[in-house]
Amino acid sequence: MALLELRGVSKRFGGLQALARVDIELEDGVIASLIGPNGAGKTTLFNTLTGLYQPDEGEIRFQNRSLIGLKPEQITGAGISRTFQNIRLFSHMTVLDNVLVGMHSRLDTKLWQIFLSTQKYQAREKAAQRRAIELIELAGLSGRENEWAHQLSYGEQRRLEIARALAAAPKLLLLDEPSAGMNTSEAQSLMALFKELIGRYVQAILLIEHNMRVVMGISDRVHVLDYGEKIAEGHPDEVRQDPRVIEAYLGQGVWTARRP
Amino acid sequence: MDLALEILPQVLVDGLVLGFMYALIALGYTMVYGVLEFINFAHSEIFVLGAFVGVEILLMLQSAGLLAAVHPAAVLLLIILAAMVISGLAAMALERVAYRPLHGSPRLVALISAIGASFLLQDGLRLFESLWRNTFYLNYPTLELLDRTMPLAANVVVPVKSILVVVTALVMLWGLNLFVNHTRIGAAIRAVAQDPDTASLMGVPVNRVIATTFFVGGAMGGLAGVLFGLHYSLVNPYSGFFPGLKAFTAAVLGGIGNIPGAMLGGMVLGMLEALAASYLSLATDGAFGAEYKDVFAFAVLILILIFRPKGLLGEKVREDRA
Amino acid sequence: MTRSLAPIGLLGYIFGSFLLAILYPQSVLAFLLFEASLLLLYYIPAHAKVKSTLAALVLIVLMPLLGTINGYYLEVAIQIGIYAALALGLNIVVGFVGLLNLGFVAFYAIGAYLWAIFGSPQANEFIAGGVFPLAPYWFFIFLLLSIGVGALTGLVLGLPVLRLRGDYLAVVTLGFAEVVRALVNNLDKPVNLTNGPRGISPIVKPPLFFRPVLEFFGLEITDAKLYPLYFYFLVLLVVCVIILVTRRLESSRIGRAWKAIREDEIAAAAMGVPVVRMKLLGFAVGASFASAVGVLFAAKQVFINPESFTFMESIGVLAMVILGGMGSIPGAILGATGVTILNLQLLKGLSLWLNGLRQSGAVLTLPLLGSYSLSQIPVQFEPAKYERMVFGLILILMMIFRPQGILPPKQERKR
Repeated sequence: MALLELRGVSKRFGGLQALARVDIELEDGVIASLIGPNGAGKTTLFNTLTGLYQPDEGEIRFQNRSLIGLKPEQITGAGISRTFQNIRLFSHMTVLDNVLVGMHSRLDTKLWQIFLSTQKYQAREKAAQRRAIELIELAGLSGRENEWAHQLSYGEQRRLEIARALAAAPKLLLLDEPSAGMNTSEAQSLMALFKELIGRYVQAILLIEHNMRVVMGISDRVHVLDYGEKIAEGHPDEVRQDPRVIEAYLGQGVWTARRP
Repeated sequence: MDLALEILPQVLVDGLVLGFMYALIALGYTMVYGVLEFINFAHSEIFVLGAFVGVEILLMLQSAGLLAAVHPAAVLLLIILAAMVISGLAAMALERVAYRPLHGSPRLVALISAIGASFLLQDGLRLFESLWRNTFYLNYPTLELLDRTMPLAANVVVPVKSILVVVTALVMLWGLNLFVNHTRIGAAIRAVAQDPDTASLMGVPVNRVIATTFFVGGAMGGLAGVLFGLHYSLVNPYSGFFPGLKAFTAAVLGGIGNIPGAMLGGMVLGMLEALAASYLSLATDGAFGAEYKDVFAFAVLILILIFRPKGLLGEKVREDRA
Repeated sequence: MTRSLAPIGLLGYIFGSFLLAILYPQSVLAFLLFEASLLLLYYIPAHAKVKSTLAALVLIVLMPLLGTINGYYLEVAIQIGIYAALALGLNIVVGFVGLLNLGFVAFYAIGAYLWAIFGSPQANEFIAGGVFPLAPYWFFIFLLLSIGVGALTGLVLGLPVLRLRGDYLAVVTLGFAEVVRALVNNLDKPVNLTNGPRGISPIVKPPLFFRPVLEFFGLEITDAKLYPLYFYFLVLLVVCVIILVTRRLESSRIGRAWKAIREDEIAAAAMGVPVVRMKLLGFAVGASFASAVGVLFAAKQVFINPESFTFMESIGVLAMVILGGMGSIPGAILGATGVTILNLQLLKGLSLWLNGLRQSGAVLTLPLLGSYSLSQIPVQFEPAKYERMVFGLILILMMIFRPQGILPPKQERKR
């Protein structure tokens, strides 16, 4: 049974059909990529999945439970967390606090426990901090815990966003262009990180990516969107040969060139 | 019931006067919100400044013995123009000093600066009048022409000053409409309101458009100030607080950023307030009276924001992107 | 080395400024120097225990001593405490959650009227039996009650409006405060709940339950001398509790969620923060602080009327938070101290000085400009009346030149 199941999901903004009856299935243990030309509806799909938008029609099931009508925080609670295409860190909070915010739904301390600063509460906070530091190390940011998020470099901020998303203990991790703005070696280490995550930290990863080296190098499956429609899906090598995909990308040169 | 009918014409005239006043002030809020997406909190002081310019000129003419000598229509024209120009310039200066340095900051930062400017202007005006006249509660000298009344229909008598308010406001609103919809700079204002980045790429001088918007909005506020002074006589530096808040309510009611909306919102709010002020006491048998008219306006504001936050005619501001 | 020297130097400074304040009881400067010792305390490198001992020395021993010698200083200290508590409450809403609440004074008014109505004969107007005013010990019960009432009003207001855009929220809260003030002003009819613009008095003060203890130690202090000290310690206690609660909230998941909402609402929601619920909580906590302080204020003033709860008060507290630094606890306290002293001491001092000049009738002769008799300074020109100008200047200048405030929040070291 699939971890995530989208059936006929549509979303329309005024006259623009951003998503048209999209069906996607995602199995456990899989790294899948969502690709397509600019404006194909990839980020809209993420926003719909995470409750920022409600689909006009269609069904989204996660672990056989419907996500329709849930608020973003409830979806995070259910086990999906994400990063953003244009990094959205909490700039005036420390690296550590950014990651701790990600744990919000996993810490159920009560108000009176905080007021009285009970032993149990303190122990939980300590444990949360330990886990946060572990995730920060995983993201390659050891020793930077007390710096403000906006003081990090661009690549570091991207990795901090991943650590923050992992803090919510998701089963499914959604990454919106994680390697954007990275050089080849940074992208390589990012791919290694993703492989490490599967099975140990998350059950599946769905990523939007323009860097085809990353897509081809890491994906078990690729789903292609164009004008809101899913035009192809399958193993990376199959998708690469698909005439509809080639047509959608024709003239864009994305297959070889990396984004700036 | 008879009493209720008997006072109705008077109530409607009051509502009309209030409505035009709110509409004029609301234009300043709504135009600035349209181009900058921020509440120009100090706009109520620009309005008061207009009232003070009017009373100062009248008092000066009076002490020079000219008030009776010059034709009242010329006097009115003079004070209206002077108030519009000075208020407009003051609004431009305000934008230059207190808002433009904050361009690109979070919206709350600019709003807090605007609140500061509002307080500063209130006491600045008070300081000036205290040093200049040793009092900051000023009374408009009486213009005999304005105190006359005109019979409008059987047993309905309308004061000339109410007619002045309505006619002047109508002329100005018509002029504004021409300005915004049929001039190059008006088109530029609309372009910036839609999308400042694209407008600036298309060669629209955004800063000049913003300055013009402040001038026009300020001039309308100044005009409302003079009319307020002529109609209600007494002004002080703090007179702008309630009219300002209500005009903002009117702008939201009509749909913020929407110019016809501000006019409609002002009209509706003015009418509602006049009706509440007169009939609340009748309806509750004197338990609650006109003193609740301000509460009433805020209740309207809160209700619109909850049930129709985009206003009656829809707002015209940029959508926040997710 | 500096870690051991600094506290000793500061101790010297504290006693030096303390002596100055005693020797020159009229001097604003001496008192300012004394109060500055707390600020220095905040900055010096020293162990936390040393710092808190020195702070306790200043606040628990020296300040009351100074207050018994010069009652005015104690009054100023109480006012600072009240405003510090309000600023800390508003800081949660504006500084942590990032919501501009322009009607904060409404919650303060609600607390004040809660105790004023039942702690005076006023409640007899609408509750038969003549049991009012309540006995003094009820003060403490109302202090606790006001926390709940404040939180509840915060929720009732917040529920419909917290989904609004930030700037709309600001205007709605302002409108709410005006509605509360209009109600307080006009609810003397049809049933006399608030006594309208005439205000309520006399309001019962808290009980002097510790009098037997004082007598046991042979201390005979008159009520007139005892109450200011009593209120000073009460306010100090309330401020300390508020600081403690705020600090604990700040470092908990709730505080982190608040700041996350302030930084980026959408990202916060995506990280599992229930945005509306957290905003409501922040609103309610801030309101409950203000309401509790209101109870204290009513008891201290003995007389309250709607004039104490104007829009200007809300902006004054906002100016304190902005001056100190949004989101910073020491900042809110510093801001409250700075603005209160500015208003209470500097502006009033300037007014008195100008009055003196006026009465002296001296003539100022300037070359070329002619002479000017000082008695001609307009009587309407009174610096003490220009609080709005001060608040306005603080807000504009801080926003343009230092939006993070004087004492912006520090990056806490924790690991």
